[in-house]
Amino acid sequence: MDAVTAVQLSKTYGTVEAVKHLNLQIPQGGVFGLLGTDGAGKTTVVRLLSGLTKPSDGTCSILGVSPAENPVGVHQRCGVMVDSAKPYAHMTGEQNLVFFAEAAGLREKDASRRASELMKELELWDARDLPVHRYSTGMLQKLSLARALVHYPSVLLLDEPTSGLDYESAKAVNALVSRYAERSDTTVLLCTRQLYYAQHVCTDFGILREGELIASGDFQTLCETAGCRVHAEFRLKDGDTLEQFKLDETTASSLRQRGSWWRVELRDEDEMPGLLRGMMEQGHEVLEARLVQPTLEEVYQVYAGRSRKEEKQDDAV
Amino acid sequence: MTPSEHALIKKDLIEIWNSKMARATLIAVPVLLVIVLPSLFLAMVRLVPMEQAEGVEKMLTLLPESASGYNLQQGIYHILTNLLFPLFYLIIPLTASAVSASCIFVGEKERSTIETLLLTPLRVRQIFRAKLSGCMFLSFLCSAISFAALTIVVSVGDVMLGLPFFVNWEWLAIIFLLAPSLTVFGVLFMVFSFNRSSNRLESFQMVAYAALPLILLYIGQFAGFFRVDAWGLTGFSIAFWLLDLILWFIDRKTFLPEKFLYQPPEV
Repeated sequence: MDAVTAVQLSKTYGTVEAVKHLNLQIPQGGVFGLLGTDGAGKTTVVRLLSGLTKPSDGTCSILGVSPAENPVGVHQRCGVMVDSAKPYAHMTGEQNLVFFAEAAGLREKDASRRASELMKELELWDARDLPVHRYSTGMLQKLSLARALVHYPSVLLLDEPTSGLDYESAKAVNALVSRYAERSDTTVLLCTRQLYYAQHVCTDFGILREGELIASGDFQTLCETAGCRVHAEFRLKDGDTLEQFKLDETTASSLRQRGSWWRVELRDEDEMPGLLRGMMEQGHEVLEARLVQPTLEEVYQVYAGRSRKEEKQDDAV
Repeated sequence: MTPSEHALIKKDLIEIWNSKMARATLIAVPVLLVIVLPSLFLAMVRLVPMEQAEGVEKMLTLLPESASGYNLQQGIYHILTNLLFPLFYLIIPLTASAVSASCIFVGEKERSTIETLLLTPLRVRQIFRAKLSGCMFLSFLCSAISFAALTIVVSVGDVMLGLPFFVNWEWLAIIFLLAPSLTVFGVLFMVFSFNRSSNRLESFQMVAYAALPLILLYIGQFAGFFRVDAWGLTGFSIAFWLLDLILWFIDRKTFLPEKFLYQPPEV
């Protein structure tokens, strides 16, 4: 059974189509990154999947349970972290977590143990007795994540979990998400605009733009469809140049200089040794050589650019 | 009730206690109404020469036949105990239930925590039931403690003035019928107004308007316009219980999560 499915899922607020005919099929296990800028429809997708809002059209389910028809069933299996769901400000962090664990059906002792476990894991232990209104933004984000995890959910829906966090906190949150996702029976849907973190945490991706899913697949597939390839970069001794260097016909692009580095796109990283050998044979003094893999940001930019181009063409027609 | 609902009640009680405004109101109002004011009236009856006070004779005409043998001080204290102190006491369940309901219903909406609550595996009906129970428990507790305190203060006066124990049929109707009906009314009316008003202040205003008939009931008696006996109070309580029933049906139907949730603004 798939962890998350959406069939022709749409949501309209007044005249605004927040999600348009979304089709998703996320198998159990792993982290699916739903990427997009502000207003792309990521939060609406999470709200639809968690039953906080009802679809205007189409259907969706979490482990076969429809959030529109059985939100309680979904909440038993699913942990949700959205920015608009706040903790109780006058209660301490620990009181908040114990309450949410008990509300999810854990016994008082188990709830207390689970709250302590999560607070230690997310480095909130020292602030456990502080009222939540005294927490910093980062601490609040961590507490929200702990709340989503408190009842051992099989599916985790996270909307911008690292938003507003400093580098260290974001790293801790991502590490926890990754650790959680390592369990074979758990699935994470991570909605984010922070592509750097997403690349490190997610196993599959979907790119959402203005409510539409414009691409999906694992990183390799996205790179291939976007035409993003690995690059070779070389740094030569001062005064040396690769302007006259003849590339193999199979190489994807010509050599370009970027600061003190020369860069060329490869069809495959196996071309690297041949290139390096050729340079040495032609008497170039290579101080450094490296392979640069495409980043999720580059892939995302290609898709976003394509989408914009298609829109312009449509407008012109 | 499920353990999850008990957890919600416990959380709501913690939240009310942690709210300075709610805590201050729940302590200050009963202390003022059942300890400070009755004590002041007792002191006044004991220390001020009543014979010279204007309107005292007219006030004594309010005394029932059973109290015809009372002297001036006893008569005035009897009138205060049966016509003014009940009003003071009845304000407590209404205030306690309205304050606690505002804290845990309106407060959840204002602080955007209702959404977090709706993400738990609790049904909306369970949330509604647990919240009502929490408010009523607190209000009943507050009323019970207040009545105990009032009993002590009034009994001290009774002993000092040589009066019998003050609890009569009217007081029994107040304690067991009218006060509980007001407790339930306070909570249900707050939820009712919460579904219709935009903020806490507006909800309080609506509850204050709803308390007007109660105030008129006692001011009217105190002014000598009419007298309501235990049967009259029972009838008044039944009217409130019926009103509670109607409000409960309305609230149950209108307590819908969609109303309280954040909706993205239209672009």
